[in-house]
Amino acid sequence: MTDETKKKLEDKIIGLVKEYAGKKRFKPIDIVKEMEKEFAAEGVSKEDIKGALKEIMDDGKLVYGYAGGSFLALPE
Amino acid sequence: MPEEVKKKRITDVGPHDYHDYLSPMIKKNYGKWAYHEILDPGTMVHIAENGDKLYTVRMGSPRLVSSSFVRDICDMADKYCGGYLRFTTRNNVEFLLEDEKNVEPLKKDLDKLGYNVGGIGNIVANIVHTQGWVHCHTSASDASGVVKSVMDELYEYFVEEKLPSKVRIAFACCLNMCGSVASSDIAILGTHRKPPKINHERLVNLCEVPSTIAACPTNSIRPEMVGDKKSVRVNEETCVFCGSCYTVCPAMPIADAENDGLSIWVGGKVSNARTKPTFSKLVVPFIPNEPPRWGKAVQAVKTILEAYKKGAEPGERVIEWIERIGWSRFFKITGFEFTKYHVDDFRLAEATMNYSSHARF
Amino acid sequence: MGKKHETPLLDELKKGKWISFVKEMERAAEKSERTEDLLGQVEESYRDKITHWKHGGMAGVKGYGAGMVGRFSEFPEKYPGVKECHSIRLNQTSGFFYNSDVLRKLADIADQHAGGLFNFHGSTGDIQILGLTQADAEDLFQKSAELGFDLGGSGSDLRTPSCCVGPARCEFANYDTLQICYDLTHAFQDELHRPSFNYKFKMKFSGCANDCVAAASRSDLAFIGTWQDNIKINQNEVKNYVKKFNVQKYVLDKCPTKCMWFEGENLVIDDSNCVKCMHCINEMPRALKSGDQKGLSILIGAKAPLVTGPRMGMMLIPFYDVHEDSKNDYEWLKGLISNMWEFWDEYGVSRERIGELIARVGLVTFLEGIGLEPTIDMVKEPRSNPFIKFEDEEAGAE
Ligand code: HEM
Ligand code: SF4
Ligand code: SF4
Ligand code: SF4
Ligand code: SF4
Repeated sequence: MTDETKKKLEDKIIGLVKEYAGKKRFKPIDIVKEMEKEFAAEGVSKEDIKGALKEIMDDGKLVYGYAGGSFLALPE
Repeated sequence: MPEEVKKKRITDVGPHDYHDYLSPMIKKNYGKWAYHEILDPGTMVHIAENGDKLYTVRMGSPRLVSSSFVRDICDMADKYCGGYLRFTTRNNVEFLLEDEKNVEPLKKDLDKLGYNVGGIGNIVANIVHTQGWVHCHTSASDASGVVKSVMDELYEYFVEEKLPSKVRIAFACCLNMCGSVASSDIAILGTHRKPPKINHERLVNLCEVPSTIAACPTNSIRPEMVGDKKSVRVNEETCVFCGSCYTVCPAMPIADAENDGLSIWVGGKVSNARTKPTFSKLVVPFIPNEPPRWGKAVQAVKTILEAYKKGAEPGERVIEWIERIGWSRFFKITGFEFTKYHVDDFRLAEATMNYSSHARF
Repeated sequence: MGKKHETPLLDELKKGKWISFVKEMERAAEKSERTEDLLGQVEESYRDKITHWKHGGMAGVKGYGAGMVGRFSEFPEKYPGVKECHSIRLNQTSGFFYNSDVLRKLADIADQHAGGLFNFHGSTGDIQILGLTQADAEDLFQKSAELGFDLGGSGSDLRTPSCCVGPARCEFANYDTLQICYDLTHAFQDELHRPSFNYKFKMKFSGCANDCVAAASRSDLAFIGTWQDNIKINQNEVKNYVKKFNVQKYVLDKCPTKCMWFEGENLVIDDSNCVKCMHCINEMPRALKSGDQKGLSILIGAKAPLVTGPRMGMMLIPFYDVHEDSKNDYEWLKGLISNMWEFWDEYGVSRERIGELIARVGLVTFLEGIGLEPTIDMVKEPRSNPFIKFEDEEAGAE
């Protein structure tokens, strides 16, 4: 995965969570499945997506929420 | 955050290596234990192939403990066993002694500090339990208080060996069952009896409607517009008050001071020793909450225990005893009433019917 | 100094012989205003017969989606000390072994950064520290991590694996429960800290059928020690037991398959009919020992009632030579587990445990998905209904 693709992937993930905030709760696994489809042409693997998620979380751009199951949320 | 601070942060180190906390005798005889003997309900000795003897002194704990408790047991471990100790899966503390001479003095010291030594052999084991009013928002009852009340009443069975076999009691304060309730000899379960109360105002922001609907085991939740707001409706005819919806949707609280309480279950078994594992089965559908001492629930547990003690053959677990004498006689002996609530009507209900002409009169 | 809150109901629970959690909370409250307020709030629950914790609210350490559970008081003005009263889970050691040095350090951490209260341990196995705020989280986490204690699981992740005392102090252990638990927990750190499953997933390791960690009834994947060859009999020791108690009645008659009998004074076992239930070995540990070809059985799918009812673990792999695999750091096993997670990721739905998924799609579909063949030990008996779905190729071959 190129740095450029990675940036695009991260923006896309954060964008999705922002767009659907208060409407839909994305589980990490939903995001992984969604991005696998979205970035199939660019040869992005499941591991790449998980790695990107990890970095987003480590940077605190998104956080984990919990309501009967874990989901991705915007930091408060 | 500055880059160098970020780098120093420790993550993903995993659990501590247990080898660091094994005593020299355990390290030496790891995997080479020959047999063990129970000396009394508080003490056992493991004999290694080379003849080494490791003494274990077991002490009960309420599980919810203070840092002072932790320091107490550390002092004891330092004084008598080189600082080595462990916990059991049922929340007991075990001191691991290499010198037999230290066993009695340790037990005396523990007694002086007010700790309970016991829990080995054919005893009532320490009660596995959950958080209750101390730390959880879905509880139908407190956990620690019920456990304390039951253990006070059954104390003699923890410190003396008086039962046909061991009896494992578990407590969970709601159907989520964070304790091992589904398969314990005697289980106490916090039980709601009213459907969730829906806060339509808050539901819009707090809950996701599809996942709330999916959480229900009986398909009792339907989407509904309340005014201009998306919300849900609960079919009170089919709701079984399990609280699963509340777990995913904070706007559907289910706790109810007047109607919450406990139910009692028996005959679960976890191990595969002799017979296959079994689930606990319903004995008392409902007992109201009676803090601080839960007298009726404690009495129900005691009734079961005493009937078992009287009726079971040596070595029989509760379920083996009940299966030998039959459930009808179990209800007769204990005096609990069999009601319509005892007949299963959930997914595998059919499997619990009596497909035979066998009955005891 | 009087107490901050009067607690007449809780005081009743300081009476009696069993060790009192109320006294423990009071001991913690001597050093912690938070725990003083906790006592006040719990007393109020005792009076009102209802919990006073709110649902929801976020808490956690950065980068992790697991290991810390948020808890907020319904009465933050009245009990400011428990406005936030979170708990954090520290991954216990294999077999729950500690020494006084490390426990004292953990006690200091709990005093400095939380309410001085612990659960030793949670029912999954973690050490829980109670009464921290979000502001405490990072320091508490990092100080524990410096001691080599990382956080445990929570949410839709791999929950903290746990194991029985095993070979460290039990003669019945058929494999090294402590090492495998330690190794696998380390291998799956990402799955443990960063929830990415449909729901929770639990693994527990017991060294024999006595199943001291209740793996078969509480974990999605249960590892139960067993052996393939013959029980080793020491006939002299058998004779000693015969002098001590009624071996016929309490051992032989209770063998579930009645595969043991006496020929003269000698005990004979038909090992081909033995189901490795441990009963005879438990009763006569000096006379009987499990065989030399030791390994483990793997059971899958146990869970508590919600949502579709409770499940007991069901046999997936009757015998697995874990000793051989341990030489390669359990590579085969890790692969198998990863395959299961892949299948569950692909076909499971939200909040569906793996046992529920198998029930929904059928065992055979699941086995094909993870690359295993069906065997007779996976079922109690063959099917008794005739609704067989023959596959096209087989019917067409006629
Ligand atoms: C909502 C608040 C909840 C609280 C405060 C809570 C608390 C806990 C705690 C402290 C443990 C022990 C954890 C450990 O040792 O790491 C635990 C285990 C467990 N929880 Fe919960 N829990 C909650 C919700 C749930 C829900 C929603 C479910 C199921 C749908 C559930 C099912 C379980 C089960 C089955 C265990 C025992 C697992 C085992 O034996 O290993 N809990 N819970
Ligand atoms: S059993 Fe229910 S009420 Fe008790 S701690 Fe678990 S989720 Fe909370
Ligand atoms: S309490 Fe249980 S049965 Fe009732 S609506 Fe909620 S999820 Fe359904
Ligand atoms: S499960 Fe078996 S091996 Fe493990 S501690 Fe219990 S008796 Fe020993
Ligand atoms: S292990 Fe169980 S099945 Fe095997 S001989 Fe002993 S009692 Fe019988």
